[in-house]
Amino acid sequence: MSRRHVLDGVKVLDFSHYVAGPHCTRLMAEAGAEVIKVEAHAGDTSRHLPVIKEGRSGYYIQHNRGKRCISLDLRTKEAQDICHELVTQVDVVIENFTPGVMKKYNMDWAALSKVNPDLVMCSISALGQEGPLSKFPGFDYIGQAYSGVMGMTGQAGGPPALSGMAFGDISTGAHAYGAIVSSLFHRANGGGGQFLDITLLDCLFSYHEMNVQVYDASGGQMVPKRSGHRHSFVAPLGLFKCGDRYLIIIAIGPQWANLAKLLGREDWLDDPRMADPVSRNENSDEINAAIEAWLATIGDAEKAVKILIEDHHIPAAPVLDVPEVMEHPHMVQRGIVQTIKDPVFGDLKIPASPMKYSQFPEPLELQASSVGQHNEEILREKLNYSTEQIASLTESGVLGARDDT
Amino acid sequence: MTQKMLEGFKVIDFTHVVAGPHATKILAEHGAEVIKIEPLDGDLSRLLPTHREGRSGYFIQHNVGKKTMAMDLATQEAQEICHELIKTADVVVENFSPGVMKKHNMDWETLKKINPGLIMCSISCFGQTGPLANLPGYDWIGQSYAGIVDLMGEPGKKPVFGDIAFGDVSTGAHAYGAIVAALLHKSRGGNGQHIDISLVEVLFSYHEFSVQLYDSTDGQVLATRSGSYHGMLSPVGIYQCKDRYVFILGLNHQWEGLTRAMEREDMFNDPRFTDVMAMAKYKDEINDAIEEWLDKVGDVDKALEILRANRVPCAPILNIAEVMDHPHSKERGTVRTISDPIFGDLRVPRTPLRFSEFPDIPDDQAGTLGQYNHQILREQLGYSEQKIADLETAGIITSKNI
Repeated sequence: MSRRHVLDGVKVLDFSHYVAGPHCTRLMAEAGAEVIKVEAHAGDTSRHLPVIKEGRSGYYIQHNRGKRCISLDLRTKEAQDICHELVTQVDVVIENFTPGVMKKYNMDWAALSKVNPDLVMCSISALGQEGPLSKFPGFDYIGQAYSGVMGMTGQAGGPPALSGMAFGDISTGAHAYGAIVSSLFHRANGGGGQFLDITLLDCLFSYHEMNVQVYDASGGQMVPKRSGHRHSFVAPLGLFKCGDRYLIIIAIGPQWANLAKLLGREDWLDDPRMADPVSRNENSDEINAAIEAWLATIGDAEKAVKILIEDHHIPAAPVLDVPEVMEHPHMVQRGIVQTIKDPVFGDLKIPASPMKYSQFPEPLELQASSVGQHNEEILREKLNYSTEQIASLTESGVLGARDDT
Repeated sequence: MTQKMLEGFKVIDFTHVVAGPHATKILAEHGAEVIKIEPLDGDLSRLLPTHREGRSGYFIQHNVGKKTMAMDLATQEAQEICHELIKTADVVVENFSPGVMKKHNMDWETLKKINPGLIMCSISCFGQTGPLANLPGYDWIGQSYAGIVDLMGEPGKKPVFGDIAFGDVSTGAHAYGAIVAALLHKSRGGNGQHIDISLVEVLFSYHEFSVQLYDSTDGQVLATRSGSYHGMLSPVGIYQCKDRYVFILGLNHQWEGLTRAMEREDMFNDPRFTDVMAMAKYKDEINDAIEEWLDKVGDVDKALEILRANRVPCAPILNIAEVMDHPHSKERGTVRTISDPIFGDLRVPRTPLRFSEFPDIPDDQAGTLGQYNHQILREQLGYSEQKIADLETAGIITSKNI
C-alpha cells in the first residue's frame, strides 16, 4: 500500500464557495482526494474576506488548501462543455449555489447523471433543494435562525446573541463529507451513483439533542427558550463567574454526588427535590447559590476548575478566548493549530483538521491555489486541449485570466 | 441493488450520551448492524428527559436502529463476550474518557491483535493524548476550551450559553465521515486503523475566521463576543421588529439591495459605506437605520417580503415550536416521528444525510436495556441458554424494559 491517504485516487469537481462546501472538499483534499475547484473569473467571494496580505486572503487559504483551481465563465456553452468533459472523469461533483443555479448552467443532477451515471453529486444549500424557502439566498446565520438554534442562544427575555463563528457551515461540510464517502463506498460495493441533498437547516436542527423531543413529548407544555447562563431543563449545568473569569460546571450525571459533597450538602443526596437532573432544575436557584458561594471562597476560576475536575472529578472548564486556546499546552501538544506556509501570504495559523487517522498521522503538505492557477494544466492534462485552444478560450473570456495573488 | 449502503457491516458500539451515539445512529440508519454495549445501569442519557413509562425520549432520539446489550465491562466474562463479538466486527466506536477502554482490555493495542482489519474510532472531549486527555468532558466543556463560549453574549458581560449540543452532533458527523473513509480505504486494500476524534478540535474548527485573523494580525485583532451584531462586519446581526427578531445580512452586493429595500439610496451613495471592512466603524449608525426602517414597516413578515424582493439574506428568529410547524420543515421532512412501543410517538430531528437512492429513513426502534442480550449471545456466539442464564444470575448481564 503506497496510498497517500484514505481517499487517494478519488477525483472531485468542486463548484463550492465560502465555507460549508469548501470545508467538505478541504476534508477530502486532506484525505488525499484530487480536487479541482471551478471558480468564476473573479474567484470565490471568500477571496475578499480578511485578512488580506499581498492581495491574498487568509480566510480563503484556510478553507481551500489542496485544491487546483480553474476559472470559467459558467454562463458560456464552452465552459459548460469543459465541465461536462471533466465530469466524465471524476467520482464526485459538489456545489453549494442557491438551488436552481446549477440547472441554469446545465449542470444539475438530471444533466450530470446522464454525462456520468456513476457520479456522486452532492448539493449543499442553506434550506434544501425544494420547499417554500429553498430559493432564498442562504448563509450559516439564516440556517441558524430557521432551525431554532439562534433563538436558543442569548439572555432569557432579551434579544438572541449572534455567534461569531460558522457552526452550521463546518458541521454541514462534515455531514456532506460522510454522505459522499458512504456513497463512494456503496458504489465500490456494486451500487450506482446518486444525488445528495445536504442542508444547513437539517444539520443545525439536529443540534437540538433535547429540545425537539422535549417540546413534542410534553405536548407543547415545555417550549425551549434561550436561558442565558443556565440550561433550561436540567441542572446543575451552566456558566458561573469566579474572580474576573468565567467557568462552566456540569454535574447532571454521577458527578452530582461529588458536587453535593464538595459544597458540604450531603443532605441533598437524600432530598427528593434533588433526585434527578430535572427535579434539580426546579430547585436550581438553591443549587446555583451554593455553587456561587463556594466559588466566592476560591476567587480564581483556574483554581476552581482544578479543584472541581482534578480533586472531585466534576466536569468543569474555564471559558477561554481564541489566543488562550491556541497557546494552551494541551492544544499545542495535540496540534490543534496548523501552520500553513503560503508562498504569497506567508505563514498562517488555522484550525487543524479534526480527523486523525492512525495509518496517516502526518497531515499532507497542501497549498491554496490562486484564481485560475491550473487553467492550462487541467485543460491540457485532463482534456488534451492544445495551447491554441486554451489561448482562444482565454481570449473569448470563457477561461479567466490567471491571477497569482 | 436494494441493499442499504452499509448492510452486512457490523459495529460494536460502546458510546453514550450524544457525540458517539450520533455517529453510530447514522451507521445504523445506513444499514450497518450496530450492537450497543451499555453498562448494567444503562447509558447515562436514559436519565435525561422526557420520561414516559420509565423510558427516555432523549435516549430514543439518539439510539434508533441499534441492538442493545447490557453488561458489566469490569468482569472478565463481559470482556470475553466483547472480544468474541469484535473478532467478526468491522468497526468499534467508543466515547469513554481516555483510559477506560484500556482498563476494560478493549484499547486499540488489544483489539487490533484480536481483529487486525478492525477500524476503531475513539471519540473524546480532548483527544486520546495531551495533558487534558483524561478529564471528563461534555459538549460545553469542549466549547469552553475551544474558545466558542467566549464568543457568545454581550461584550464585556458574562457569556451566554446555548441549550444545544452543537459540538456533539458535529463531532459525531466528523467521526462518521472518518469511519466510512477508513472502510473505503480498507475495501481498496488498505489496513484497519484507529481514528482519534475530539470535541475540542471539531469545535475549534468552527472558527472559520477568528484564528487566522488573530494570527495574521499578530494578535492585534482578537475576536470576542459582540452581542446581537457581528463583531467585525456590518450590517450583520439580529434586529428587533416590534415584538419579533429578525436576522439581516447586507454585505458586499447585498448592501445595495438592503439600501433599496429601506429606500435609503442616500446610504448606498455615502462614500463612508463603500468598503465592507470600513463599514464596521459605522455599525451603530447603520444598525439604527435598519431598526428605524423595521419599526416603520411594523410587521416582520412584511419586512421579510421586502428584503427578499431585494435579494437580501434574512430570516425570522424561530423558536422550536415554530420550526416544527413551519411549512418548509413540513415539506422537507425536517422533523421525523419515531413510533416507540413503550414511549409512544416521538418527534425528533431527521438525520441530515439525504441520499437519492435511499430517500426513506428506516423505521427503526431504540432497544430497551439489554434487549438483545439473549439473541446476540445465542446467534452470534453460540452460547447455550444455561450459560446465558448463569451470566444473568452472576449479575454480569442484565435487562430492563426501559
